[in-house]
Amino acid sequence: MENYQEILESGRLEQYALGELDPAARAEVEAQARRYPEVREELDALLAGLDVYAEAHALTPPAGMRERVLGRVLAEISTATPSVPAAPAPAPEVPTMRVLASNPHVASVAPVAEPAARRSGWAIAASIALLLSLVGNAMLYTNLQQTRSDLALALGEQTRFASATQVMERRLSATQEQLHVLRSPDEYKLVALAGTPAHPTARARVLFNKAAHRVYVDVAQLPPLPSGKQYQLWALDQGKPVDAGVLTAATTAGDGLQQMKDITSAQAFAMTVEPTGGSAGPTLDTMTVIGNI
Amino acid sequence: MPDEPLISIPTAAEAALVSRLRARDETAMTEFYDRYSAALYGVIQRIVKAEDEAEDVLQEALVKIWHAIESYDPSKGRLFTWVVNISRNLAIDKIRSRQHRVSSRTQGLDDSLAAQRQAAPATFRPEHVGLQEITKQLVPEQRQVIDLLYFGGFTQSEAAEELNLPLGTVKTRARTALKVLAKLIR
Repeated sequence: MENYQEILESGRLEQYALGELDPAARAEVEAQARRYPEVREELDALLAGLDVYAEAHALTPPAGMRERVLGRVLAEISTATPSVPAAPAPAPEVPTMRVLASNPHVASVAPVAEPAARRSGWAIAASIALLLSLVGNAMLYTNLQQTRSDLALALGEQTRFASATQVMERRLSATQEQLHVLRSPDEYKLVALAGTPAHPTARARVLFNKAAHRVYVDVAQLPPLPSGKQYQLWALDQGKPVDAGVLTAATTAGDGLQQMKDITSAQAFAMTVEPTGGSAGPTLDTMTVIGNI
Repeated sequence: MPDEPLISIPTAAEAALVSRLRARDETAMTEFYDRYSAALYGVIQRIVKAEDEAEDVLQEALVKIWHAIESYDPSKGRLFTWVVNISRNLAIDKIRSRQHRVSSRTQGLDDSLAAQRQAAPATFRPEHVGLQEITKQLVPEQRQVIDLLYFGGFTQSEAAEELNLPLGTVKTRARTALKVLAKLIR
């Protein structure tokens, strides 16, 4: 996609805002937003629109939920924050310090107070053990933090892969369906739509399954549309136009087959230019292509 | 302050909250809850329906936001957009994991619409762009599509299938609806 107008029309920004894109496509949209201020602006507007929608549904949580949820959240995040493992430490630390401070004094009277010296020997051993255990805890804690963030990353990756797979599966089944339509000349009749005198180079075709009433459209070339307009396909039945739906920007650009509305009976198909969303009846002087079955 | 519309919180206030969360300031979490919980709970509740599950998802979302705040990139969008998406994704994962979708998706949505209507007087804050205004601005067909996409966790193709409409129609409706919504705050 070269110019920003195409990006705005592509429908990708809406998909981005709704969270439908896989990570690669998201990154692509973000890069486009960085490149074109117009894309950034449009994307921000769409995101803000959804934010408004989300916030319009705000619901004050039931009484008591604040204390429960906030209490559990704070408990959970505190165990993962250094402040709490440090909390029990001051208690054991006090005796440790006292023993160490009194130690030189105890040593000087060693011959007189042998039991005291032995006691302080134990105390020193105990405080060293405690120190080692604190250091050990700190290391374990760091490891735990690392593991937690690794796990969070891995889970994030997994979710992204799962959603990317879903997207690919949907694309695959859409492609298979298109292939089926194209490979079934018995089921689908090919109707060539040629340009009207005003648009001699316009060309498209319709694949019509009369038994199943299915209609697909495939664009070869159509003149660019003014803004706020869409091509609309009409089935002509006994001379009467029946709405067969509007063409997406992608279909208009010739990106692939698009399934249109079901049509029970038709002798011809034609396309006109209508306001976005389509009209109830065709604007005949905008007819671009037409073809008989 | 928690009552001002989140969408109009000045960027500076948002940035201050983000940097406190990044600095692992637990009091920032309480402030975050007071500001954002109603909006997040509203979205979650509408997706998962059951109150106890909504509470669980809200809690999960807050913990996730706390742990993932480093990865929030303000240049890609507002904090609100980011946290709503986290909550919405967790809620959608929840309904997918209990295989809730296939059996009761459409009906559930309708149920919750009714529930919302009943709950409305007590819980909607009038200073926000309210549902009434949105209902006034969006035609029912657009509203239905946006509801499926946003609260049903459907993609546009899935919504087209669900509503038995051509994908193009769903896309047009979604697009028009998003444009209308975007205009509400301009």
